[in-house]
Amino acid sequence: MYLLDALSTPAQYLPIAIQFAFGVLFVAGMIAISHFLGPKRNTSDKLDTFESGIEQIGNARQPMAIKYFLVAILFVLFDVEVIFFYPYALNFKSLGWEGFAAVCMFVTFFFAGFFYIYKKGALKWED
Amino acid sequence: MGATQIIFWILSIVAVFSAIMVITRKNPVYSVLYLIITFFAISGHYVLMNAQFLAIVNIIVYAGAILVLFLFVLMLMNLNKESEPKKNKFMLWASAFAGGLLLYVLLAAVHTAHIENVKGIHVGNIGLVSELGKALFTTYVVPFEITSILFLSAMVGAVVIGKKD
Amino acid sequence: MPINYYIFLAIILFCIGVTGVLTRRNAIIIFMCIELMLNSVNLLLVAFSKMHHARALAAGAANTTAGIEAQLFVFFIMVVAAAEVAVGLAIIVMMYRNTHSVDINFLNRLKN
Repeated sequence: MYLLDALSTPAQYLPIAIQFAFGVLFVAGMIAISHFLGPKRNTSDKLDTFESGIEQIGNARQPMAIKYFLVAILFVLFDVEVIFFYPYALNFKSLGWEGFAAVCMFVTFFFAGFFYIYKKGALKWED
Repeated sequence: MGATQIIFWILSIVAVFSAIMVITRKNPVYSVLYLIITFFAISGHYVLMNAQFLAIVNIIVYAGAILVLFLFVLMLMNLNKESEPKKNKFMLWASAFAGGLLLYVLLAAVHTAHIENVKGIHVGNIGLVSELGKALFTTYVVPFEITSILFLSAMVGAVVIGKKD
Repeated sequence: MPINYYIFLAIILFCIGVTGVLTRRNAIIIFMCIELMLNSVNLLLVAFSKMHHARALAAGAANTTAGIEAQLFVFFIMVVAAAEVAVGLAIIVMMYRNTHSVDINFLNRLKN
């Protein structure tokens, strides 16, 4: 527990903030440096999508099928389920069987939902 | 000016600037990316107020799942610039004026209200994960169970609406 | 920071969200502006929760959990928002599949 106690004031988030700033600055700096240092020879052949001489057909941004979207939506719902487990994990011992029963009931409802999704074939990748 | 104030002002300016960019960009993909920046700034405010659990949930649920879902839908729908709907100029200015007027009224109402200045808003342990977990699984265990029923209905709704045939 | 600054920030973000809902016609952008409004209200709730807690601490109650309700409230708002987004985006995708547009003015044919 002392690891979590150590992170109990905003001031102790400073290393994370520094790491965050370093990540952003590093990426932005690299892109800027390569933009300034790299040579630019823009000819019509170089700006073409494929340089190997094949004629390009249509738009690169094809609409995707609906079934991928349904999987993404269901991911969000199960992602939120996991959020509830962090506070439970920290209080696992002190909550005892009562807390365990509550979480079991919670998971049962989600499992019923998963069973419904599976039976409906919403996760089926091939038609 | 202490470090807390400087961070507060930086985060506020970033949040407001990127929120304005969200509603003014023509390309919806840029709007989603600016909204992610806004949510990160709001998470920074939560960390500053020692509400660390909410900061993490904000990043995981909003920036990590919901906005990626928005981005995914935009990619899925292939919204190029020519499909961006046009709107007549008068309606645009009228609605911007209405929003500004609402801002003015709310700011004036808060400005004249007497608000007590409370010290020590940045201390206290109630925002930590374990403290919130204790309250969530003892006092608020019924709303917790009801949430699972809500999610069951959301799953059924999404599958019924989203499944072809 | 005094609580006033958080109130002003939340009001500004909320009004930007309202303006976005009024000015844009793309259904997805309108949905995003609603999320922005929800988040500004969450920020205000957390600020008031901390104010309540600070007042209880100043009154001499050590180990108090005053104000924890507001933070749980924010947590439930976020969770309900996730469920709302799932169903709402499913509706928008269905609307797109039927009308090939996300312009909300297409929906005014529901009027009659």
